[in-house]
Amino acid sequence: MPQKKISIRIDGELISALEGQTILQAAKANGKYIPTLCDLDGLTSVGACRICLVEVSGSERLFPACTTPIQEGMSVTTNSPKLTRYRRISVELLLIERNHVCAVCVSNGHCELQTMASALGIGTVGLAYNFPKLSIDMSHPRFVLDHNRCILCTRCVRVCAELEGAHMWELTSRGIHARIVSEMNEQWGKATSCTSCGKCVHACPTGALAEKGWAVEEMVKKIDAVTSLVHRRGAQV
Amino acid sequence: MKKVKVATVWLDGCSGCHMSLLDMDAAIISLGRKIDLVYGPLVDAQEFPEDVDVTLVEGAVSSQDDLNKVQKIRQRTNILISLGDCAVTGNVPAMRNSIPVQKLLQRIYVDGADEKKGVPSERVPALLKQARPLREFVKVDICLPGCPPPSKTIVGVINDLLDGKKPNGNLKVKFG
Amino acid sequence: MPRILDFGAFNAVREAGMAKLVPAVPRVAIGMGTCGRGNGAEGLYHAFAQAVERSGDDLILAPVGCFGACFQEPLVSVRLPGNPLVILRKVQANDAGRLLQDIAKGNLTPDLISCKIEEWDHITGHVRYGQGYPEVPSWNEVTFFKGQKKIVLRNCGIINPDDIEEYIAVGGYQALYKVLIDANPNGVIEQIKASKLRGRGGAGYLTGNKWEFLAKAKAEPKYIICNADEGDPGAYMNRNEIESDPHSLLEGMIIGGYVMGATEGIIYVRAEYPLAVHRLNRAIEQAREYGLLGENILGRGFKFDIELVEGAGAFVCGEETALIASLEGEAGRPRPRPPFPAQKGLWGKPTNINNVETWYNIAPIVTRGPAWFTETGSAKSSGTKVFSLVGKVKNTGLVEMPLGTPLKTFIYDIGEGAVGGRQVKAVQTGGPSGGCIPQDMFDTAVDYENLAQLGSIMGSGGMVVMDEDNCMVDVARYFIEFTHSESCGKCIPCRVGLNKCLRILNRVTEGAGTAHHLEILDELSRYIRDCSLCGLGQTAPNPVLTTLRHFRNEFEDHILAHRCTAGVCEELALSPCENSCPLHMNIPRFLQLYKENRLEDAFLSVILDNPLPSSTGRVCQHPCDSRCRRQTLDQAVNMREVHRFIADSIFSSDKYESMIRQITARKLEPTGRKIAVVGAGPAGLTAAFYLSMLGHEVTVYDSKSEAGGMLRFALPEYRLPKSILRREIELIERLGVKFSFNTRVGVDLPLNDLDDHFDMIFLSIGTWKESWVYQSGTELKGVYPALNFLDAIASGQEINLGKRVAVIGGGNAAIDSARTSLRKGCEVTVFYRRERKDMPAIEEETRAAKDEGAKFVFLAAPHRVIGDAKGNVKAIEIVKTRLGEYDASGRRKPIATDEIQRFDCDSVIFAIGETVDLDFCRASGLALKESGTIDVNRFTLETSRARFYAGGDLVTGASNVSNAMAYGKQAARSIDLQLMEADRWQSLYPQFDYEQTPPEEPSPNRRHTGQALAAAVRVRSQDEVVAGLNHEEALDETCRCLRCDVGAANVS
Repeated sequence: MPQKKISIRIDGELISALEGQTILQAAKANGKYIPTLCDLDGLTSVGACRICLVEVSGSERLFPACTTPIQEGMSVTTNSPKLTRYRRISVELLLIERNHVCAVCVSNGHCELQTMASALGIGTVGLAYNFPKLSIDMSHPRFVLDHNRCILCTRCVRVCAELEGAHMWELTSRGIHARIVSEMNEQWGKATSCTSCGKCVHACPTGALAEKGWAVEEMVKKIDAVTSLVHRRGAQV
Repeated sequence: MKKVKVATVWLDGCSGCHMSLLDMDAAIISLGRKIDLVYGPLVDAQEFPEDVDVTLVEGAVSSQDDLNKVQKIRQRTNILISLGDCAVTGNVPAMRNSIPVQKLLQRIYVDGADEKKGVPSERVPALLKQARPLREFVKVDICLPGCPPPSKTIVGVINDLLDGKKPNGNLKVKFG
Repeated sequence: MPRILDFGAFNAVREAGMAKLVPAVPRVAIGMGTCGRGNGAEGLYHAFAQAVERSGDDLILAPVGCFGACFQEPLVSVRLPGNPLVILRKVQANDAGRLLQDIAKGNLTPDLISCKIEEWDHITGHVRYGQGYPEVPSWNEVTFFKGQKKIVLRNCGIINPDDIEEYIAVGGYQALYKVLIDANPNGVIEQIKASKLRGRGGAGYLTGNKWEFLAKAKAEPKYIICNADEGDPGAYMNRNEIESDPHSLLEGMIIGGYVMGATEGIIYVRAEYPLAVHRLNRAIEQAREYGLLGENILGRGFKFDIELVEGAGAFVCGEETALIASLEGEAGRPRPRPPFPAQKGLWGKPTNINNVETWYNIAPIVTRGPAWFTETGSAKSSGTKVFSLVGKVKNTGLVEMPLGTPLKTFIYDIGEGAVGGRQVKAVQTGGPSGGCIPQDMFDTAVDYENLAQLGSIMGSGGMVVMDEDNCMVDVARYFIEFTHSESCGKCIPCRVGLNKCLRILNRVTEGAGTAHHLEILDELSRYIRDCSLCGLGQTAPNPVLTTLRHFRNEFEDHILAHRCTAGVCEELALSPCENSCPLHMNIPRFLQLYKENRLEDAFLSVILDNPLPSSTGRVCQHPCDSRCRRQTLDQAVNMREVHRFIADSIFSSDKYESMIRQITARKLEPTGRKIAVVGAGPAGLTAAFYLSMLGHEVTVYDSKSEAGGMLRFALPEYRLPKSILRREIELIERLGVKFSFNTRVGVDLPLNDLDDHFDMIFLSIGTWKESWVYQSGTELKGVYPALNFLDAIASGQEINLGKRVAVIGGGNAAIDSARTSLRKGCEVTVFYRRERKDMPAIEEETRAAKDEGAKFVFLAAPHRVIGDAKGNVKAIEIVKTRLGEYDASGRRKPIATDEIQRFDCDSVIFAIGETVDLDFCRASGLALKESGTIDVNRFTLETSRARFYAGGDLVTGASNVSNAMAYGKQAARSIDLQLMEADRWQSLYPQFDYEQTPPEEPSPNRRHTGQALAAAVRVRSQDEVVAGLNHEEALDETCRCLRCDVGAANVS
């Protein structure tokens, strides 16, 4: 059954999109950019990073573009002083939460968090850094998990469950102590369910998951490989 | 025309930012006509002078000595610039922050030393509990992130200031 | 018991239940909720059971839930056949024997009686227990229950929760029966919609609409869920509802299941509620046994079952999508909505989730109809809501009130206000993510919209009352700590934002906060509210936002003055007494120094903290008493009397000269700076003392002929002998302070002249005007403003009051006037418009006046003064008042009635409050506050004019001696800081070394008080009434101190 077409406005421009699409999908399909950190084409949207929040006319509230379905006649604003302010706070909070030392990161120059900070003009953070003590899991023969660089977007969790079907990653603990764990909180290298496919590594927006053997700036993620896999398999989530 | 007084300061950093500053090629000639470099690792002055117009600080604030220095510098400077990631975010020097100072010194100067084992205590300033960015201690007017910030950016900012413009507006910034 | 399949069987069960609930033998029911058990109800139950076994009495002993009055647990209800149900309170196990004896004799046990219930509206049914006991108040005549309307709690504390038959006896499951027979699910949904019932979990969404969504959803199966994951600290409505009446929940859910087309219901209840879990399991079992759950319910062919799932205690699982995730076996983390549970819920199927209390309202609405339901409550929020009223109120417990009831009804009427004479400061509604509502907004009617407007929420119904001992910064910090640790960690605002807020609030409570922190807090809180994924994050910043809005002063005190007024934040207060003292005297220090037999050191400590220690030792309002932790053992340490004793010991001994030399030696080097102090009252004298100690040249100007201000000219000799005051002023003079009397600043000496001749000027003229409301007759001879009267007496003038004197007012000036008149041999009557407990006068003074023979007439306001032909006072007419609503001071407002009474008298003294000479303020050209007093920076006391500072009554309006002195002290410090650009304050104080461990065995004795002269003797003289302590008593008082000032670090 062909999907029904509906019209919405994004930043004033009238576009046509398919019923059932989210605001983010409709925007992307029409070449409109809405920033996001946790969303990855083809995976379930979780609405965790709150960067894609947009304004919808007629409501005081802000809506996550990644999980809000479009409605006929909807008028969406993707940029406003308030949205920019809030996006900056989100990114600044990520920067202070853990130890993002870009200068010595394998993903320096290819990191979505770093790029987002630059795009938002963040040259300094107004809040004090947390400098937490976090571990690095080097037990896997080919990959590394560095909690210092993790932003808890859960792309690894989703790509592993939804695409690879391995369900190796999970999110554990609450609040500021939340972190990614492999299998039953075992070391990654000991995880029997890991197929070492590397999809999580390439889905990861920062240097938190990386291949071993690369120096600073050398880890370039093949994010398109992950998304094109979705499309070639025809996986519709 | 009166020359603008500029100082540079090197705290807990690798001096890479100073290298980047020097990397300005021919721009140094025109800049040299407009500024006086009154203090810093590149010149001889021993005491930080009064009434400095612009000070560029490289490095994180890591020791008690660093802290005393930046407080004095702040009092004597009109525009204070955090130069580079160490001064802006803490960066590499701050990677020690989750380790207690005593443990850190023990590891480096005792466990890790082959000879003359012992934590130095005389004539070296005491480390602060953590190495932290400049703006957590004093008011900073401009932040130039980067490891190091590109030479062009530094020169651009100085030139903007000389022209009486506010450089913060359309600054291209990037950590790392 | 066979399953109930027809009406006959249903009725049989009903009658069986009634025979247990209203039996022909006595019935004793013990309140066995968690609250009752916590207070010993189980032991009590066993005691009864044993006693009954021994005596062989024929009576029914039953466990019931809680009737709501938690502060009176354990509650026991007793009913003798044919008589009302009587609720007994605070029954102990050893009361069981005599209670049963009384019951056997057909009597009640009077000392335990709280109230009676003659008949009870169970909403679904009506039970008559019996008439009688005219001397016992009915339940709704008792303060705590007055105005309560029990719809949700209709059966709580009355029926046995473990017995389905008793539930059916009071009309239970009848609504379900009706719904099944009518077989019109849409009709029920229409009824719920018409009732305007809103979700009681907090969000307040219309229940009927929610039901309609699910009913219309086309999918199989559908689920309905009861959210019993009540996790708010201080809230326990749902626990009590389930523990006391589990079947009402089941009935609501079965009805819901039927009308929404669901076949399975799930109750998600906290594992931390073992009793609730136990009773629910029991109830589900019984319901299955009686054919109310399972196949073919009540023989009507409907199939439905309920499963109980225990949650592991994550607060966030109260959020519906997280609850569903938890039910599916995943970690309890919220999911984005849409899709809403009604579209895609448990296992991806349409699901309805309602709070416990919402389900409790279903059977009543079905039984009595929506029109009946909307009669209660406000237009937009119908029905009632159960609140758990806890915190700093006298009566705590579960309160069910119609929505739209004002906050003050909860706090002052039902809760009866704060404990121990303190003031209620705020109430926090809605659990940890609710907001704090300040006392001046207690007029607010409680409903969803109004609370939201104040930045708070209804939540599940927590209501935590706070008084002066609560620090609002700490309150915000506490709640953020809670929500922060309960955040699931999924979205950035809640996970990192709350963590950052907490870190900042920690800094503020440690005294390391900055003004910039407040801006960050405000911005972060708004961000977290607007951007978080679920309700937890969206509401979590409410405590910060509301305290920032309504209690900004307290944040500023922490940051700018490094002081926590409530004394909660440890780093910002030495001890409760020091913190409550306006002068912040280091009280533990002088107590300990005297204890160590170091009188001179103790005196030095006292006088450097308080330059008028003998005077204040007699007349201070001693706020320290009400904060002293010794009160928790017996009574407060008599700190005021100890410093009076220490000061008197020096002032009246040969050590005076040597002490003066010691103090003078502590003066800092002369600075050559000149300072003018205007007003030689307590504020001015204090400022002069410190400024002189700091090395400045001080000149004090006063319009009177002598120094001392109110202390000299308003306080009667019998309270503060002039000789004592003179000694203290002499000390200040000998420090080098110059006085210039009979000089009125602004008249004889313009402000500009001061400006020309001095470096800094401190204005501290007092409250030298009596508030004067013109009333008919106030122009007559024999009518006096209290201040003028006291001044005249203190100045030695002769005033002929005649025989009978009427004093109007309830403050200290009124009592001073009354006692002074008594000493002139008059008959005195004091008229006050409120009640005795509302009087602002110091309690001891009022008592002393009464002992000396003053008569008091309360609830009486002046109407007019009547004169004779010569223009002399002949009588006063007063109008009786009655007390109306609570005003902003937390007292009931007096309202004039029509009743006028006449009192013959020869003089009338009006003491209805003093005011500042506003003419001076206006003429000063300084910026003024709305009240007409001078506006100063709260922390520096700077006025709008450079180099001019002001303090005391001039700034606050009429206050008291210690408050005025505190201003003098603060001004001196601020002026010195400004002049010298350095904080030199601490250099005034020597290093006192004294014991820093708390006493192992504090003195066991009770508080010592000074001996008062017998009333009959003292009323005939001007002699000082209360003698000070003697050495032994003072020493013993110092040994009573528990040393709260000793930090945790010093206590092993």
